Amino acid sequence: MSARILVVDDDTALAEMIGIVLRTEGFEPHFCADGAVAFEAFRAARPDLVLLDLMLPGLDGIEVCGRIRAESGVPIIMLTAKSDTADVVKGLESGADDYMVKPFNPKELVARIRTRLRPTSSNGSVERLQVGDLTVDVAAHEVRRGEKRINLTPLEFELLLALASKPQQVFTREMLLEQVWGYHYKADTRLVNVHVQRLRAKVEDDPDNPRIVTTVRGVGYRAGVSA
Amino acid sequence: MDWRAARRLPSRLVHVWRTSLRFRTVLITVALTGIAILVTGVVVSFSISNDLYQSRLDQAFGDSARATTDAQKKLDAADATDPAAVQSLFQQVLGDVKNSTSTNLIQSSRVPGQGAAAGAPTGITTFGSAQSVISGELKAKVRSSDHAIYAQSVALPAPDGSTDPGIVVGTELVLPNAGRYELYLGYRLHDSEQTLLFVQRTLLLAGLALVLLIGAITWVVVRFVVVPIRLAAETSQRLAAGELEVRMPEKGEDVFTTLARSFNGMADALQRQITQLATLSQLQQRFVSDVSHELRTPLTTIRLAGDVIYDQRASFPPATGRTAELLHTQIERFDLLLSDLLEISRYDAGSVALELEPTNLVRLAEDAIDSLQALADQNGSEVRLVAPGGYFQVEMDPRRIRRVVRNLLGNAIEHGEGKPIIVTVDSNETAVALSVRDNGLGMTQQDTRRVFDRFWRADPSRRRSIGGTGLGLAIALEDATLHGGWLDVWSSPGEGSCFRLTLPREPDGSIGSSPLPLSPSGSDRENETDRVGGSYPEHAAESGAQNADESGSVNAARTHPGSEVQPW
Repeated sequence: MSARILVVDDDTALAEMIGIVLRTEGFEPHFCADGAVAFEAFRAARPDLVLLDLMLPGLDGIEVCGRIRAESGVPIIMLTAKSDTADVVKGLESGADDYMVKPFNPKELVARIRTRLRPTSSNGSVERLQVGDLTVDVAAHEVRRGEKRINLTPLEFELLLALASKPQQVFTREMLLEQVWGYHYKADTRLVNVHVQRLRAKVEDDPDNPRIVTTVRGVGYRAGVSA
Repeated sequence: MDWRAARRLPSRLVHVWRTSLRFRTVLITVALTGIAILVTGVVVSFSISNDLYQSRLDQAFGDSARATTDAQKKLDAADATDPAAVQSLFQQVLGDVKNSTSTNLIQSSRVPGQGAAAGAPTGITTFGSAQSVISGELKAKVRSSDHAIYAQSVALPAPDGSTDPGIVVGTELVLPNAGRYELYLGYRLHDSEQTLLFVQRTLLLAGLALVLLIGAITWVVVRFVVVPIRLAAETSQRLAAGELEVRMPEKGEDVFTTLARSFNGMADALQRQITQLATLSQLQQRFVSDVSHELRTPLTTIRLAGDVIYDQRASFPPATGRTAELLHTQIERFDLLLSDLLEISRYDAGSVALELEPTNLVRLAEDAIDSLQALADQNGSEVRLVAPGGYFQVEMDPRRIRRVVRNLLGNAIEHGEGKPIIVTVDSNETAVALSVRDNGLGMTQQDTRRVFDRFWRADPSRRRSIGGTGLGLAIALEDATLHGGWLDVWSSPGEGSCFRLTLPREPDGSIGSSPLPLSPSGSDRENETDRVGGSYPEHAAESGAQNADESGSVNAARTHPGSEVQPW
């Protein structure tokens, strides 16, 4: 079964070209050219992944991203003509999993889509993990604090799983970029920073004083209360 | 105030002297009037003391002349012959003299050398211990002539042990049947001296008061002048600092109002010009940025299309296949150019912010070398890392610094002629530095100066193996400057080039000196003082001198185009 991908971009030529590339790779593209109707298109298409242009007529891409994220954890990859700090960070903070700066390379686009669509990299050996007072059920893709279920996006789940599977090991941002985002070269470490913040907001009792995902200054992050 | 403060006082005074016009003016005025008043006071006091002395002298002369004349008359009128009568007459006359003069210091004795006279009185004195003040000189004068009066100023011992100024007047009396007697009268000038001291004290106090008063007046007057000047200085300072709307108040009709009016006119003109220029430059930056952004979406489409075609080139006829390849590479080049252009436009618009992270420069250099290893192998260059220092975390934007290092390394590989390239990392107390040294063809001094210019190429015909955009070093310089660091270059034709990046250890910290030498001889350090906080390319002085005559000649190496490797 081919994965459905919703391409939200007002430039029809680009959307069509992306469609051609995606079809070649065996995906099933759906299109939407207007930010105002993007959310309806999302509900109608029920895609497995969204490619979202940041600059859209009707409704801002960041706004669209926030609305989709409020309802669903489906992977969102932003397409942006601006790599300026503020825009990218805003997009990531509104819930995008990853971003690509135009003009991008088709192979990179496909690689990034595949990374986001692959099933969680559970090695099968562990069913259940414990981080602090959290229980991570790997098979069920669930995180619970006591009886309370915590909703995480697939990306956030994978980030937590990566950290929790090797408790007390310190992960550098580069390691996490490779393991979770599939980057095999130096990339933007802001991706990690923003998503750790989003993860903390959901799993920590006090996000300002994190106990589940702790920062190791100058190195990176690790799971569990620091010694 | 403790001694340290006291020791600092001179330097603080020097500081105030140099910085405060008012202090300087007041001090000069006070000093000059002080000198003038001092001179006047000394002259006045001297003249008064002279006058007082003279009048007292005249008085003493008159006094003693009258007394001695009277005494002589009495002596001449008397006819005492026997020693007892002479003695009594002498006593009586001297008593009269004492009574008729205003002094009680009197001495009289027989002038020696007249032969013995029986029964001549021996003389008397009331000078007591002060006899010695009557000098031999005065005595000689008195003895030498007849009846003339001589005076001499002396210091008379006072009863309390000190000395008073005084005058001794000497003359001669002729005692019948006893011969010539010398008579000395001493006058104390004690009261005159009191008067003089009083006058001097008054003069001194008046002078001091006058100096203080003049100082205060100068202070006030200078204030009138300095306040508007200071206002003008502050206003122009604020104007220079960018507060274009500040103006000076224009009140009254005097010269300061004229100054304020012309100053404000100048500020108006300046503001207009600057605003105009800023708008123009903003428009231009916006334009570059907009164009670049607008180009991106179609370029993405073109790139995707090009790649799809490129992937199928094997199924095309040879000419079309080659076309697909060319299309592919040129799209990539266009892509690089566009992103560099955007980066530069961001710097021009000042919208670049650093993302600081603690980063190890040695690790970063290792990564950069690894990532360019393939290119280095292809060019046959061996890249060596020498890192005597720098193994600690420094706050920097690793994406930008990595881009700078890759850029420098790419240039070195491209122009290194296959000879070894040495990357050095070191640190000192204020900075960390990385230098990339190649042993390629090098550049002339002229080329070195332009190497950071945008789109500059020393030799456009030179083959470019890694296809730079001409903006890489310009961006690298901007990156270094943004970090508060330096990017310097040294090069010499035939000897290769050395690019050195120096970054402060603390963000916003200042760099004392770079831990690494720029030129091979390491004698560039004295040049560093010429750098004004920025990171302008510099050329080591000694190699400059060595190359100065070469750079103009035809065979000078012109083979180091400012090309660079593209940031990731």
